[in-house]
Amino acid sequence: MQKQNRLIYFLLSLPAFVLYSVFFIYPLMNGFIYSLQDWNGVGRDKDFVGISNYITLFSDIRVRNTLSFTLRYTIALLVGTIVLSITIALLLDSIIKARGFFRTMYFMPAVLSTLTVGLIWNQLFSNALPQFGRLIGSESLSSNVLGDVKLAFWAVVFTALWQGLATNVLLFLSALQNIPKDLIEAAGLDGANKRQIFFRIKLPFIIPTLNIVIILTAKNGLMAFDNIFALTSGGPARTTESIGMLIYKFAFEEFKYSYSSALAILIFVIIGILTIIQLRTSERYEVKA
Amino acid sequence: MNKKQLKFDRVFSYFVLAVGLFIILVPLYLALITAFKPTKDSIANFFSFPKSLYLDNFITVISNSNFFKFFGNSTLILAASLIGILVLVPLTAYVIQKNISSKYYRFFYFAFVAGILVPFQVFMLPVTQQMNKLNLMHQGGLIVLYITFAMTQGIFLYSGYIRTVIPKDLEEAAYMDGCGVIRTYISIIFPMMKPMTGTVIILNSLWIWNDFLLPLLILNKSQSYWTLVLFQYNFKSSYTFDFNLAFAAFVLSMVPIIIVYVFFQKYIIAGLTGGAVKS
Repeated sequence: MQKQNRLIYFLLSLPAFVLYSVFFIYPLMNGFIYSLQDWNGVGRDKDFVGISNYITLFSDIRVRNTLSFTLRYTIALLVGTIVLSITIALLLDSIIKARGFFRTMYFMPAVLSTLTVGLIWNQLFSNALPQFGRLIGSESLSSNVLGDVKLAFWAVVFTALWQGLATNVLLFLSALQNIPKDLIEAAGLDGANKRQIFFRIKLPFIIPTLNIVIILTAKNGLMAFDNIFALTSGGPARTTESIGMLIYKFAFEEFKYSYSSALAILIFVIIGILTIIQLRTSERYEVKA
Repeated sequence: MNKKQLKFDRVFSYFVLAVGLFIILVPLYLALITAFKPTKDSIANFFSFPKSLYLDNFITVISNSNFFKFFGNSTLILAASLIGILVLVPLTAYVIQKNISSKYYRFFYFAFVAGILVPFQVFMLPVTQQMNKLNLMHQGGLIVLYITFAMTQGIFLYSGYIRTVIPKDLEEAAYMDGCGVIRTYISIIFPMMKPMTGTVIILNSLWIWNDFLLPLLILNKSQSYWTLVLFQYNFKSSYTFDFNLAFAAFVLSMVPIIIVYVFFQKYIIAGLTGGAVKS
């Protein structure tokens, strides 16, 4: 009976294990091997070149610019997401009437396709906003902001927040609603002001949510693709080219297969290290609090 | 004084929330009115309300492209992937948790959970290469990939649920009654995991329906394979640039998901927040 069960378990789990090995683990290892070779994707010859692809990455200006954009974008996204979604969640938590309605509306962007959202904003920035700019007589708004090196960056951040806040607002809201109400009332009776209530009572309760939001947002920011691809395609003059896009362009537009794989592995390592640091520091904080 | 302050706070809260609501709705409103206007009206004034019920944009989009075919493709891919996910993922999680003391199963459990942290771009190139070599650059191949990639988070979520919610003695009672492994799973375990199944359906539906990069890599070669998202992307290049037509295409593509959201929003919100917190 035991033996027979063991065979049944083995057979039941086999399809998933085979699929995962063939379509996930194997290509992942393959990517690592590519990164140590010198392959353009078409030719038959793949020479082993060791870590030379990685060394080239560090001196490649385009990679450096892309990395700089991606980091600035991720930081802006993190700051914007944390500040705005906590603020909106606090406001939603403080109202009673129509809370359900506001929650429904604020969450709606999360169900739309990121590509559609990017394409809509692309149209609005290039066609609607210049008309509005001329109407109010603003010179900087009269031309397409997506063509302006400085403004394009903020347009990318803005559209990412427009869609990305939704889920995070909800996460913070449900964390806030789990705080025992009498705790806040008691603090209010003891004469605590709003700031004290937020920092001393509410914040410790939302720290676990904050950790999740930071990890998810950082991962989204560092690997951004759809939204930027649809909004600017990396322009103007490649100033909004993200790492996720560069991996794609190297691989499928410029046929630098091995080089693209090296970049992908490098980013994977960076994300892994950042995740570990984040988890370690938050652990320490939670123990203290 | 205190009461006055409270009232002011409340009015202020509603005011800020209303401003936020305005920012969320403006692009969707503009998309809608632009879809109902001829180009010359939009060039004259982008923000004006349509003068009449102008449907030509929608008619052009639907008749000039295979809109319903793309809609059908998206639906088929979603349905087939979901069936595959719901057959394989909870079952595999259950088998792993039953045998977690064995090294073999523990290895795969860690491999699945570690997979959550791997961004798709890290191995998109070798995957695409492999799909090409195996002649899987079609909807069937894409469905296989969705089922496989859903395993990382899915097995993690189901495993947590099995460990914390499913009582051990219940299964033992079923075994005593002479139910085999498969019977026990189908008639007792799977029905008990319903809440988690809801979360997994919602998370994966939104991901698969809205996904862009995987269809772009696997399906873009042949127009007959396109999904709704690919159609919108290619729309940009296949028409001379007529933004009223583009907005009609956007609106048509958003309508199905917004309808689903309106009807199931309670479950969607619960599912998405639940899934994010647990992963």
